[in-house]
Amino acid sequence: MNNVNIERLKEIVGEDNIRDNAADRYVYGSDASVHEAMPQVIVRPENIEQVQRIMAYADREKIPVIPRGSGSGMCGQVVPVMGGIILDMKAMNRILEINPQNGYCRVEPGVVDDDLNKALKPYGVFYPPTPASSVVATIGGEIANNASGTRSVKYGAARDAVLELKVVLANGECLSFGSSTRVAASGYPLERLIVGSEGTLAVIVEATLRFVPIPKLRCLGIAKFNVLGDAGDAISDIMGSGCQPSMLELIDKIAITAANKAEGLGLPEVEAILLFEADGMAKETIDPEIENFKAICERHNGFGIEFSYDEKERARIFAGRSKLFPSLSKYDERLPSTSLADDMAVPFSRMAECANKIHEVAERNGLVMTAYGHCGAGCMHTKILMDTDKEIQWEAARKAVAEIYDFVRSVGGTTSAEHGIGLSKAAAFKKEKETTLELMRAIKKVFDPNNILNPGKLMDGPDNWVEATNLRYQISKA
Amino acid sequence: MTEVNKLEKWKTALNKCIRCGYCYEHCPIYKSTRWEIDSPRGKLILLFGLLNGELEPSDYIANKLFECFHCGRCQKACSSGVPTLDIYADAKAYFLEAGFDVLGTTSQTDESVCAGCLSCVRACKYEARSFSDGRIVTDRLKCRSCGSCIDVCPAKGISIGRGYGTNPDELLKQAGLFLDDAGNPNAKAIVFSCGWSSYPGFQAARCDTFDVNPEYKVLVTACSGRLKTHTVLETLEHGAWGILVCCCPEDECEHGGSKKIKARMQSLKGTLEKMGIDTGCIQVAEVPQGNRKRFTDAVKGFMEQIRAIGPLFSGSEK
Repeated sequence: MNNVNIERLKEIVGEDNIRDNAADRYVYGSDASVHEAMPQVIVRPENIEQVQRIMAYADREKIPVIPRGSGSGMCGQVVPVMGGIILDMKAMNRILEINPQNGYCRVEPGVVDDDLNKALKPYGVFYPPTPASSVVATIGGEIANNASGTRSVKYGAARDAVLELKVVLANGECLSFGSSTRVAASGYPLERLIVGSEGTLAVIVEATLRFVPIPKLRCLGIAKFNVLGDAGDAISDIMGSGCQPSMLELIDKIAITAANKAEGLGLPEVEAILLFEADGMAKETIDPEIENFKAICERHNGFGIEFSYDEKERARIFAGRSKLFPSLSKYDERLPSTSLADDMAVPFSRMAECANKIHEVAERNGLVMTAYGHCGAGCMHTKILMDTDKEIQWEAARKAVAEIYDFVRSVGGTTSAEHGIGLSKAAAFKKEKETTLELMRAIKKVFDPNNILNPGKLMDGPDNWVEATNLRYQISKA
Repeated sequence: MTEVNKLEKWKTALNKCIRCGYCYEHCPIYKSTRWEIDSPRGKLILLFGLLNGELEPSDYIANKLFECFHCGRCQKACSSGVPTLDIYADAKAYFLEAGFDVLGTTSQTDESVCAGCLSCVRACKYEARSFSDGRIVTDRLKCRSCGSCIDVCPAKGISIGRGYGTNPDELLKQAGLFLDDAGNPNAKAIVFSCGWSSYPGFQAARCDTFDVNPEYKVLVTACSGRLKTHTVLETLEHGAWGILVCCCPEDECEHGGSKKIKARMQSLKGTLEKMGIDTGCIQVAEVPQGNRKRFTDAVKGFMEQIRAIGPLFSGSEK
């Protein structure tokens, strides 16, 4: 790799939009994953033309370029494993158009999800993927990772919301993929190829997104289970019953204990909790859905079932889920919460089995792991709580991650539901996609012949994530 | 390498930071610069780097730790319960003990104009200012960069080096650049927009190229409560037809700023009335966080109002 010519980049974006001192580079060397690596420079373009000129320069000089939103990814997607240029897209944060008549909005990639939804709200619509990190996640980052969230069971992921993308290729050429129309039948859906590509194919510089009406009513319910498998059976029956939940969340006992311990929520210490929600424009259409969820839960030994349309009551019912993420960090002072084996997807019928597998693997490897997720979308999350100072715990974590994804593949699941691959899930991803890796590499070569766009990720990610980069923790051999 | 033992006790807390970045949008300094090093997460990562020896202490890093308005919103927003303010306090103590002479957002006194009236000492509720050896001394660990001292100094001899939009001088300079722009004969008003309430709406409003309207300029402040009467008055004297201040609704304001600015503007209106100036040239609008419609409606309504009133002073008509 050639050295970056800072002066050349300053000519493109101006002195105020470049940072190359050690402190800035260190900060931009990590995200919400366990990894860290130093870029050579951070460049902040303000418009498409600047992105084009940066890419043309980097391609000519064969310098890696890593597009970055808010750096909230959990798998090391924006960690610059080969150095190079971090392309900080947050200065391109304009909402360019809200077009209710045609049902779309056009935004720059640095717009924060919550800001977009605040802007859409007066029109009675919302952009639905909305991950838990919507307060900070940028639209560009969400598209690059194909993000989704608690309501993806009904409204889908980023891929379902993208109509058209304007991108800058590695050589600096700017192209539009897709169409702002609701349907577009023919040709290769290149806009969809960019979604989930984690910055390896092109730089997203503008997105045209569809939105959906904000439902007038929401009804949220809770059911408790003494056997995790019963909750799992209820999930697959609900999803197979023909009804349409707008949310279906599973929380296991460890997560319940964590929430109680950290937040004093007083949740019942049962084996599993299911949260179910239906939304719509009229009570008449929601009530039958809720009754159906209730009947199915009861059939599978669910108890303590309650539900409410009231906003405050819904907040109370949802407290265990909304407090879960912080609870895990506070579960045990000695055990930081690491983003490892952080997400996966399995068939509905295997959700409970997957949760049990996670518990079994954790116990066998001397780790603490929980299981929770948007089970209505087949999405399961976990975190590994461990003593990050000890090298032996990292080896245990590496084994645990491998074992969990071996199981996921064995039941027809997939490595990432919504968090992406980056570095820490690359080994599992490569095993899962073994037969299509070369095809993916060939596609990347067409888009990026010099391999400058976020190199070393996805199909080119490391087999051993523990050794692939520095880990962000201080680790002792003891 | 300089010893960083003072920070060693925070190692567990720094490990607990899961680097989710949820603190970003709550930090007025990050919102002003959009550089991650200015975010709370960025500060914690810097300290982590110092602790594990991957970074060397420097004036640049020290200054970053001293750049904070102590609003505490990062701590409140932290999903992992990291006590950011306590960590920053120890980090600042460490840097001072290590001999780093940096100011960040600490208020400073221009001794060449200070008359030693002690108004600032009395005004500082954090006891950060004292009179010692014939001069005003600021305790850099106690100063919360609230700007109370700046407001009361009769000699205008106190400032915050880099105020991220909160310094009267910065606001006046930006307002002046807009109002004096010979290429823009339509410039009429300044909208001071609270960084907490209006700013998300302001960002969204950019879809109408709202922020580049030739008639007014939106200036984002950290908190409307830090906007001083003399800043508004001087902006009017500079030729503005009117000033709109967008603040949080009083019951949503987390910094007591809405109450302060409303009282200040009410008092200013009284003064203007005595001078025979139409008080419609000043307006305070409450904008709930991120409510773009309320923000745009407030601006549109205000612009109609001041167009009807016309220029305040002869010569300010463009």
